[in-house]
Formats: sequence, structure tokens, C-alpha cells
Amino acid sequence: MGLIIIVALVGMALLAPVLTVPNTPDPAQMPRDWGALNEPPGTPGHPLGTTTSGGDVLYGLIWGARTSLKLSVIVVSITVIIGTIIGSLAGFLGGRIDTVLMRIVDVFLSIPELIFALAIAAVLGPSLRNIILAIAAVFWVKYARLIRGQIIHVKQNEYVDAARVIGDSRLRIYLKDILPNSMTPLVVQATLDMGHVVLIGATLSFIGLAEAGLAEWGVLVSEGQTGISAGRWWVSLFAGGMIFLWSLAFNLVGDAMRDVLDPRMEGR
Amino acid sequence: MTALGVTSTAGPSSQVADYVISVRGVRKHFPIKEGVLQRVTGHVRAVDDVSFDVPRGKTVGLVGESGCGKSTLGRVISGLTDATEGGVYFRLSHAAKDRLDELLAIPEAERSAAEGRELAEIDRAHRIDALGKDRWREYRRNCQVVFQDAFASLNPRHLVKDIIGRPLRIHHEASGTQLTERIVDLLESVGLGSQHLYRFPHQFSGGQRQRISIARAVALDPEFIVLDEPTSALDVSVQAQILNLLHDLQEQRGLTYLFISHDLNVVEHMSDRIIVMYLGQIAETGPSEQIFAAARHPYTEALLEANPAVEGGARAVTRLKGSVPDPARPPQGCRFHTRCPVVTSQCGWEVDDAVTEAELRDSGLDGLSGVSRQSAFSADLTFETEAQAAAFVAQLQAQETPEPLAAALTELRQTGTDVSVRFQPVVPVRLERVGPDQLSACLLHTGQQPAAEAVAR
Repeated sequence: MGLIIIVALVGMALLAPVLTVPNTPDPAQMPRDWGALNEPPGTPGHPLGTTTSGGDVLYGLIWGARTSLKLSVIVVSITVIIGTIIGSLAGFLGGRIDTVLMRIVDVFLSIPELIFALAIAAVLGPSLRNIILAIAAVFWVKYARLIRGQIIHVKQNEYVDAARVIGDSRLRIYLKDILPNSMTPLVVQATLDMGHVVLIGATLSFIGLAEAGLAEWGVLVSEGQTGISAGRWWVSLFAGGMIFLWSLAFNLVGDAMRDVLDPRMEGR
Repeated sequence: MTALGVTSTAGPSSQVADYVISVRGVRKHFPIKEGVLQRVTGHVRAVDDVSFDVPRGKTVGLVGESGCGKSTLGRVISGLTDATEGGVYFRLSHAAKDRLDELLAIPEAERSAAEGRELAEIDRAHRIDALGKDRWREYRRNCQVVFQDAFASLNPRHLVKDIIGRPLRIHHEASGTQLTERIVDLLESVGLGSQHLYRFPHQFSGGQRQRISIARAVALDPEFIVLDEPTSALDVSVQAQILNLLHDLQEQRGLTYLFISHDLNVVEHMSDRIIVMYLGQIAETGPSEQIFAAARHPYTEALLEANPAVEGGARAVTRLKGSVPDPARPPQGCRFHTRCPVVTSQCGWEVDDAVTEAELRDSGLDGLSGVSRQSAFSADLTFETEAQAAAFVAQLQAQETPEPLAAALTELRQTGTDVSVRFQPVVPVRLERVGPDQLSACLLHTGQQPAAEAVAR
């Protein structure tokens, strides 16, 4: 179920230029139709209606999927890489390096992630790139902790001793024995975060930390909110629904992966 | 690289290496850390001053209950863990071994500069934690380990081909098709075949997995293999097959084994010599037949009697009392004295024993509020009331108190709420010769004088 939604959403994101024709120089910017403001769904040319500033909601949803995909893939890749490096150094080398790195991680973890990301994004100024940086700066700590714990657990396995006995180097033992056997929970966490990142990204852009007019679901919800009291429900509802679907889909798949992978991860 | 390989198998150094491994005074103490600050509050003495030799081509069996330090010792010998003290020496000749023992017998402070240099020389050439890079690499090739749990010791994500080929690849022994040929040869030598190359460890049975482990261990043609309970995780029927395989490999390849096990049957079947360990120390050692025919240490006897498969096992089993003492605070004198069926008053009775004895009875230790300990053999206990102090004394004077313990007490005096407890100090029992090539650490058989004129520490 989750997988079907993911395939549909990601397909939509990838095929965005085919599904809708961009008529602005930057296709990630919402095209404005100043002759059709606040049109309800079903209007010819605007099947899902338009916003107060004449943005086509359908276009926003489709290109918003592209923005979300970009956002989540970049953030998750950055955080997985940084988290794996930091967590590996701490877990594999141990000792003082471990203590120092983990205290830094503790500092990061003691600040609520949304507020922290908000603060960073606000300092850097409103743009999607800064939202990516802000979320990445907050999310890597989770991976560092996760990987460190896994590595400490895995390096006690007898096959690590067995590799030492045949005379393999520490680096190769790490690359061949420890890291591959530590990755399973990371994959699950990364999948869950694909949804989580979009939710936080939408929150940040909702309060205006993305470029104005960006085809992004949080921006759309924000544009639509002024019209809700006047009965113009469609903008916020459709955009909010997309955020919901995206998060739900990745959560479903992440949970399913956890169920499938966890018992095998233990190896017995 | 090849030059080293040649010396390792046929060079002059191996011709004179009568002992593949010599262990001298090895201790391994693990710190016990407590509290938020992780302060070290004591040490678990997993291995506490152990020395023995493993002659070339022989199998030495290392037996003892779980927790006696035999696996830790195996890890120290195979270089997986550093010893706290003492050394493991590789490839000593008779002459070099005797010279090493002479030098080690001289206390460090009395060693002359020349003797110190000579010792350092031996260390650099033979002591595994002092070897140079090339020699260490040679040791790494020549000392392999087969672990108890074959499943845990095989990386679940690697194919059999990669597991067995890995040592060959690391040491640049073979590559390409030649590598595959070598791997198939190895698989066949342990009773598997080329059809198993592209399978994962979880697709095998326990016995087959242990065969894979063994193939990996012999891949580099080592001289010496530490077998750390290689069959204790297996069914009895499979055990015999694995033991036979190990035996055949030893004959074909001239291997030397250190066979660690808690199972005397298995050890008897495999070993030329046997070392019995108790609480981190050697209790008895000797040729296999001699240990089984004429054990000279009560602990060995107890192990043999508890073993149903030994002939004459119908003898009444002298069951060992109590459990293994805390290795962080091993008993004085003979470490086995707290459980020994033939214990005497000379065996190392101490304050802890008196307290343990009183603890076994009802209300024996009620109201104990303070202990001021002068030594392991001398302490003043403070109770809350005089009656409780008197009860403690009465408990120790009662009939139930073991006679050797009562006899070893030199003073048990109550003054008010205090009780002073004194025992005759003794020195730790030493391993001494009790027969041709047989050593035992028991007063009964060695006639040692345990009572220390000079106080024991």
C-alpha cells in the first residue's frame, strides 16, 4: 500500500515536466494566471482550482512533489553520510574520540529538532537550499547515534575476532565486517525520515522560510490558509493531503521494512 | 614475503623451535569499574600467573569449569587480547626456553645489564607482543583460532568462498582461478566440496559451519591452532566427526593444538598433555594418561569423578560444595580450599571463610556493623550488640563448622561488641612436581610448607 503511494508520488515528481507545461523561466516557481484568482476546482484550465494569487493548484501539487523528492533525497543522503562517518569514528575508535563526539551529539539532541531547524533556517534566510541545510544540520545526530550503537554491538561479534586472527587490517575489518552488518536499522530510519523530512520542510516553508511562490506543498497550504474562512477550502486541503500522503507512505514502508529486516538482522 | 614463507616452514629457525608456544607468568586482569565516574574498584583476575609450554606437533588440552579463565588465556595466546603481565613466546628451542626460564627466575631488580639485554633480545625475537611487523605477520599466519560458535564466527553476509579465501587473499597467497582451486582443496580437506562455494553460512548445519571455520583456520597452513571449545555447541554425533577431522588434519599437516574445553572426555580423546585450570591458575598438569590414571589434585579428581563416561564412574560422586568463588577476590592459599573435599587446616583459611561460614547459618551475621581488616587472615568485626557478637562466636565454635576451619583459627576473641578473628597466614600454594612430568598445586601431594614465617603479602 505504502509502496504504491510512493511509486505514484515519485513517478509524479519525475514526470512533472511531462504532466504539466511550465510557463515560467524557473519551472519550480508557480505560474501565475492573474485572470483567474480564487477559482474553485473544476474551472476549465485549472482542474483543482487556483490560489489567491492565481497559482494553479494542480501544477503546485505536481511540482511540489518534485520539490519534496529533491528535499528528502538530498537531506537523507547528507545526513546518512555525515552520521555514518561520525558514528563510525565514535563507535569504532571509542575512547576519548567517542566521548567528545557523543557529547556534541547530546547537545544537538537536547534541542527540539523543529525549533532548531527553524532557528538555523531563519538565520540563513528564506530559500529551499537553506531549508535543506537546516534540516540536515539537525538530522545527522540521529544517524550518528544509531550507527555508533550498531558498530559497538557488531564489533563484539566473533567474526570480527576471526578476521583479526587471519591478520586483516582494522580498516578492512571495518569495511567488510562491521559496517555492512550495521546498516540495516539505518536503512529503516532513512526510509522513515524520507517522510519526516518533507513534513518538517513543509512546516518551515509554511511559515515563510522558502522562496515566495515556490511550488511546494507547505507554501501552498500557507497561500490557501487566508481563504479557508471565506470557504476556499481547496488549496490548503489538496496540498495538505499531499503532505499527509507522502509522510504516510514512507512511514508505512519504513515500518514494514523494520518488521522484515529486524529478525534477520540478529542473524539467528 | 616468500622468503618469510620459506623460513616459516623449512628454515633453520623452525628446526630448532621445539616449543611452538611457551606461556610465562601470564596474568590477565579486567578492571571492575563502578559509579558515575567509572572508578576502578577492583580487578577480575581471569588469568593469574600461568606458565606452560606447547611442544611442537602435540595437543595440549586446557580444561576447567566455565569462568576459570581458559578462554581468556586462549585469547591472550592468539593475540586477540593483551596480557596484563607476563608473555607468550613463539618458537623457542629447548636451549632458548631453558635460558629464558633462567633469566626470568632472576628478580627484575637483580638482573645485570647484560641479562636484561639478553632478555630483551629473546622478547624481540619470540615474545608475541614485542615482535616487529614482519615477525608479527608471521605469527599471525601461524597461529589460528577455531571458535566455539561457528555461526557467530562466520560473517553472515559473506559467501563460503569469500570466508575461506579471505586469509589467502590478505596474505597474497593466491588470486583468480588459483584462489578458487585452493578454496576447493580446502573445502574437500574438511569434507565439503565445490558445490558449497556460493552459499551463505546460514545455509549450513552446525557441524558443516564448524568445518568451514576449520578450513579457514588451516588455509594459511599454520603451525598452531587454538581450538576454543570447537565442539561444545554441537550434537554428540557431530562432535565425534569434528574431532576425527581435527585429528586427521593434525596428522596430515603436522599441526600443534591448544584444545580448550570443559569436557574431559573430549580432551582425553584429543590431548597428549592436559592442563587443569581453576580460578585463573593451573591446578594440575601432566601427560594425558597420567592425569586420567593418577590425578594428584583433588579438583582434578572431582572433575574426573563428576564425569560419567570415565571408567569406574560408578564411584560415588564427591559433589563439589558451593560455587566457584569470585575471581575478583580469589581465596588465599590454595584457591580450591573453599570447595575441596579433602581440605586441611593448612590450606589457606581466612576471614572471608569464617564470615561465609557464619552467613550460612541462621542469624550468624546479624548486626554486623563494621569490619576492620588488617590482612586477609586478620580482622576485627564489630556488631551492634554484645549478644550478636557472642552469637557469631558461638556459630564458629559450633559442631557444624568444618573441622579444618576451626583448627586453622588462631584467635577468636570477643571484647564487648567486637570480635577479633585471626588465622595463621599462609602463602599461595605453588605448582610442584608430583611425578615424572606431572605438576600439581596441592599441599597433600607436594609437601610444601604453607605457613609463612614472613607474612603472606
